[in-house]
Amino acid sequence: MNDQFILVGARTPLPPPAKKEPWYRGKPVVSMAILAAVALGCLCCELFIPKDPAYMDLFHGSEAPNAEFWFGTDTMGRDIFSMIWYGGRVSLLIGFLSTAISTVLAILFGAASGLAPRWLDALLMRLTEIFLSIPSLLLIVLLQSILGKASVVSLSLVIGVTGWTSVAKVVRSEVRQLRSSEYVLASRCMGAGFFHILRRHLAPNFFSSILFMVVMNVRSAIAAESTLSFIGLGLPLEVISWGSMLSLSEKALLSGAWWIILIPGAFLVVTLLCVTEIGNWLRGEGDRRASNL
Amino acid sequence: MRQKSPFLYCGKKLLSFLLSVFLLSVAVFYAARLAPGDPLVSYYGDRAEKMTSQERAWAEARLGLDQPIYVQYARWLENAARGDFGISYKYKMDVAEVIAARLPNTLILGGISFVLIFTGALVLGALCVWNEGKWLDRFICKVGTVVSCIPEFWLSLVLILVFAVLLRWLPSSGAYTIGGGGVADRAAHLALPLAVAVAGHLWYYAYMIRNKLLEEVRADYVLLAKSKGLGSRAVLLRHCLRGVMPTYLSLMAISVPHILGGTYIIETVFSYPGIGTLSYESARYQDYNLLMLLCLLSGGLVIFCNILAQMINERIDPRMRSEEPPEVSDRE
Amino acid sequence: MDEMLLDVQELTHCFRLGRNRVLRAVDGVSFQMRKGEIFGLVGESGSGKSTTAKCVMNILRPTGGKIRYLGVNICDPKQFRAHRELLQTSRQMIFQDSTSSLNPRMTVAEIISEPMSIHHIRPPRGSLRAEAAFQLKCVGMDPGYLDKRPPELSGGQRQRVAIARALSMGPELLVADEPIASLDVSIQAQIINLFKHLQREHGFTFLFIAHDLAVVRYLCDRVGVMFQGKLVELAPAAELFARPLHPYTQALLSAIPIPDPRRERARVIQRFDPAGFSREGVWTEASPGHLVLRKEKDT
Repeated sequence: MNDQFILVGARTPLPPPAKKEPWYRGKPVVSMAILAAVALGCLCCELFIPKDPAYMDLFHGSEAPNAEFWFGTDTMGRDIFSMIWYGGRVSLLIGFLSTAISTVLAILFGAASGLAPRWLDALLMRLTEIFLSIPSLLLIVLLQSILGKASVVSLSLVIGVTGWTSVAKVVRSEVRQLRSSEYVLASRCMGAGFFHILRRHLAPNFFSSILFMVVMNVRSAIAAESTLSFIGLGLPLEVISWGSMLSLSEKALLSGAWWIILIPGAFLVVTLLCVTEIGNWLRGEGDRRASNL
Repeated sequence: MRQKSPFLYCGKKLLSFLLSVFLLSVAVFYAARLAPGDPLVSYYGDRAEKMTSQERAWAEARLGLDQPIYVQYARWLENAARGDFGISYKYKMDVAEVIAARLPNTLILGGISFVLIFTGALVLGALCVWNEGKWLDRFICKVGTVVSCIPEFWLSLVLILVFAVLLRWLPSSGAYTIGGGGVADRAAHLALPLAVAVAGHLWYYAYMIRNKLLEEVRADYVLLAKSKGLGSRAVLLRHCLRGVMPTYLSLMAISVPHILGGTYIIETVFSYPGIGTLSYESARYQDYNLLMLLCLLSGGLVIFCNILAQMINERIDPRMRSEEPPEVSDRE
Repeated sequence: MDEMLLDVQELTHCFRLGRNRVLRAVDGVSFQMRKGEIFGLVGESGSGKSTTAKCVMNILRPTGGKIRYLGVNICDPKQFRAHRELLQTSRQMIFQDSTSSLNPRMTVAEIISEPMSIHHIRPPRGSLRAEAAFQLKCVGMDPGYLDKRPPELSGGQRQRVAIARALSMGPELLVADEPIASLDVSIQAQIINLFKHLQREHGFTFLFIAHDLAVVRYLCDRVGVMFQGKLVELAPAAELFARPLHPYTQALLSAIPIPDPRRERARVIQRFDPAGFSREGVWTEASPGHLVLRKEKDT
């Protein structure tokens, strides 16, 4: 933290008057716009989707894209265009909900471990390692079977519970550095409790270093939802999400119905890509020094 | 820091490994049994549902399921120590045999993709650094970002759609054609899963190596080497690559669980008869004994790799002692 | 004036260094502080001054001995918990390094009002911000600094903010652990005068830790001298500087430069051999209020 202080007496030379950069320079404007459009479309989908996404039109099963069904219909005769917007809600919701769960878990666990005495810290970290060594797929199967039939909340819980460790590690090592700083000591002296120190002193300091990881967790959570629903561990077919739409793809493969696979998948990938771009931007600038090569 | 004898050091690591595996086995044992579901169904099939309560009790006693969990665990541990991990409820075979039949498939898939990923990552990383900031570097990074955003299962679907359904060049599932097939047949079955496994992980590790190399080429010794008259290419290949080797090794160790986890999904999509599909089945159908051994195998491997990475890091940097491995371990 | 505020008795604190080495950082230190006095604690670095202060502030837990604050034994967890609110509001500490004792991400206003927001005290001047502005004025800074962050302030200004934070609760006891050691000499003088002024105004009791004897002489009413974890001499400031009794004190005093070239040249620096220092000794009162650690055979 000390590098922020300016040396006494040493004037930093004023930067040369730079050309005014446009506000969007260096920001992932395209990604933000696309993501905003997708999110908005999902949220307000009732306004413009032409069909009831859950209605199974048995006469129009597996139809290729045409004037009536813009993106075609799935094997059960549901309109894919409507389903994408409607199901996007669930996918995005799970992404954010499970990230919120994992972040809260990670911060609490990481801060507790970072502030704990050495032996307890070592123990907690060892436990994390063991937790990590259980293959996540198995963990998810176990958790799912304990929680019972999958729903949006239970799936978010499962994804959140399996995804907190990496953030917790970063929080812990940051807290370990911060805890011996005198302002934390001073605050303790003044009688501050765990949550006050966490909120006022620790969180603002580690926030920037976990922000990138948290955004990336949104991405992994959305991907995890689709993967789990696809292999049959996630949402059932009736709960429309991008993942559960794709779980029909194995049947679609046999009939060569490419639209059932490609169109929802393309939405999924574009969304993930936009989130990644934003995350990369948050990670900040790289090394500006010139290469010695 | 006092110098410890290497013997004591390894002993300590071994102890921590065994302890972790033990705790893991306890955790999995309890978790599996606390999960709702009926293991008798996987043993007796549909018959289990029609059993009278008397028959059920008898069947449970036969499988040792009537005792409290800790007794079951103690018995399992005792048998496991003798190398007997019990029988699979579903396959009615020794679990070790069930796994042994599937293990080579996973090892081939995982092993080849591991080798490809790490040679590819090193080459791509070096290529990016050599062309830093030029179009090739930016192109590789961009492609990497895009590909890393594609969920593995969807990539598999698209590849199957293109190469198996539309073009009919490659088979879409399985590890070999039933009732025959030589090396070529195997290779054809392996091509798509392998492509997905490599594409899923290559970019991430290439990116890590690129970043580490970029730090390395900014070190002062590069200037020194160049002032001695060495060419840029020689400096990069002889000095800088050596400088990132430790990171490379610890990355390799840490990547094992990720690549393993990735193959699980891929195996499921391609119905590839490996450990992944097996563990998925065993967890779903409460095949306790099978599940236990699978968890121990993969968990043990992961713990072993973590300790290995930690040891590599400690060797390079004594400051790491008694700390956890660096944050390279965190896959995004 | 004579009411006892702090009573430290046979305070001992040991640090474990490795498996079987123990450092006795503070070793049987006893002293009392009356309400409203400025008590100076001097000694070379590593003599246990800061450890004593940290024990008084409950940051470290003493290995042995007793500390009574307003009659409460603060080393006893049960009593500490029972009086937590009182202890945490009426004792405040100022750290040596203002760079690290102020969170660089908080504004001055937030820093100064932090103790109040921790204890959910209704600010007497309306808002927390008004309170912070008032305290800032008390330590001689313009309220315009309220929205600055510590990295934008100079060392002296940061220390003033730290003082304002400590005073915002109207403390009974203020502990300052070498508050001027990291400042320029000219700034040191300003801060010392500020302390003197504030103490006169607020009347708090002040435990001032320093290694600079000249400062202590100027500021303090009574002075304790520490060496290797032991309190070797304790006397009113004037008395101590006039008649130092312990050889270590004498050596320390002889090392103060005299701002007069002729006398400075004649100054003889006494040497004090740490090897000749015996940790065993008897605490004797040489004259009223003047205590010194003496070897047994001298008595």
